Amino acid sequence: MSDPWQECMDYAVTLAKKAGEIIRGALKEEKSIMIKSSPVDLVTETDQKVENFIISLIKEKYPSHSFIGEESVAAGEGSILTDNPTWIIDPIDGTTNFVHRFPFVAVSIGFVVNKKIEFGIVYSCVEDKMYTARRGKGAFCNGQKLKVSGQEDITKSLLVTELGSNRDPETIKIVLSNMERLLSIPIHGIRAVGTAAVNMCLVAAGGADAYYEMGIHCWDMAGAGIIITEAGGVLLDVSGGPFDLMSRRIIAASSRPIAERIAKALQIIPLKRDDATN
Amino acid sequence: RLIYELLFQIIRKALTEEKQVSTKTSAADLVTETDHFVENLIISVLKEKFPSHRFIAEESTAAGSKCVLTDSPTWIIDPVDGTCNFVHRFPTVAVSIGFAVNKELEFGVIYHCTEERLYTGRRGQGAFCNDKRLQVSKETDISKALILTEIGPKRDPATLKLFLGNIERLLKAQAHGVRVIGSSTLALCHLASGAADAYYQFGLHCWDLAAATVIIREAGGTVIDTSGGPLDLMSCRVVAAGTREMAMFIAQEIQTIHYRRDDEN
Repeated sequence: MSDPWQECMDYAVTLAKKAGEIIRGALKEEKSIMIKSSPVDLVTETDQKVENFIISLIKEKYPSHSFIGEESVAAGEGSILTDNPTWIIDPIDGTTNFVHRFPFVAVSIGFVVNKKIEFGIVYSCVEDKMYTARRGKGAFCNGQKLKVSGQEDITKSLLVTELGSNRDPETIKIVLSNMERLLSIPIHGIRAVGTAAVNMCLVAAGGADAYYEMGIHCWDMAGAGIIITEAGGVLLDVSGGPFDLMSRRIIAASSRPIAERIAKALQIIPLKRDDATN
Repeated sequence: RLIYELLFQIIRKALTEEKQVSTKTSAADLVTETDHFVENLIISVLKEKFPSHRFIAEESTAAGSKCVLTDSPTWIIDPVDGTCNFVHRFPTVAVSIGFAVNKELEFGVIYHCTEERLYTGRRGQGAFCNDKRLQVSKETDISKALILTEIGPKRDPATLKLFLGNIERLLKAQAHGVRVIGSSTLALCHLASGAADAYYQFGLHCWDLAAATVIIREAGGTVIDTSGGPLDLMSCRVVAAGTREMAMFIAQEIQTIHYRRDDEN
């Protein structure tokens, strides 16, 4: 029996490649920067252009499918996940990096049916690394199979996370105290490259042992989440419970013991869910 | 150039193999056989060609060599910058070679091993990445800044509080963000290329600073001490930025984390 979603996936890879070209071109130019939820939550015309590009081409080919895209949601579109085949899109993950020309910028596309992630694509376009995963078929980067590190000992771990775009003093305090607790275990170190999707792909490739963050959105996690699980890793909620795509938070790790140890160390930041109706 | 090809092959090969890992000053201060091997290789090749020159290099210093800069032509070497990354196969690892004469930094070379990018700077002749001329960012405003830093080897509670406190201050000043990539030399190269606006760190060494300082200055940037005064190569601390204004702002904001000097006994 043939794979009903393989065609969608192949199409998504083509779109991600083309989007990456648009982004690389825009990187060389001056940028008009706007802000969203805070003075450090940046967006540019390129974010909007790339998202419109991707969504319009998918709509043409698959008119019955649903969409949750970062810039569409910012413009007022809904972000409730139904059972309908749904494309969850971040046109530029790492917009702050993009604005500065810091070379970690990715297009992220996750495809969800019956609320289950079927495939994910993350194209780190400056590095020209195409990360992909199809449920049950493994995870790859530029054709090379990916495998997580398998590390189970937190004291030998390298973690990835971000400081986030929330500058509320209370939130900053929690973010930094979480880092303090983890660094004190001790661990080998913490890295932050500036995009959730690329951070997660680094874990999937075995270059780091876990990623955690609170405050990101479903479009940051939908593409890379399945890349991690197909590379042998685990996804967990920061509370230690099962991962929830609309919860605004994630632990993505090379092993369950590492994920659980991180969950133990984290103080939770209260956040509005992506599918909240008010 | 030939030396680099050989070195990078060695490091690339080593990146894919199992590694014997030891620790130095703390559980987070790692070293491997590759660090030693690469350093010995670089030094022996250079010694053959320049028998009267001196050397300051990371693993030799760890083994007891003195870390004193004289007027003699001196090579200042970090064989593997980003050893923790190297151990984990986190793909940000570099070789750094700086050169000083009469205590003045003359040129520097930093090679990004997995991306195959060669950064160079020669005093008075500009800075380049793979033949593309480098130019720092001209940003003076902290609220538009992307800042890079590294944690450093000390992980005691007081150090962590100061380290995180410095980040807190910069975030409160509305900096766009703070990034940590695990290699001070490559982070400094990002600064030289204009991809970041500032870098600061406590706990790095002269072998991390020697090459990058020339590259950044030749790209138009500023490299100073965390006190706001002139760079002190052996002080184990630095603030670097595209502009003097940015560098001075950060120097004023951050609190000092004390590390022993490289030339202390």
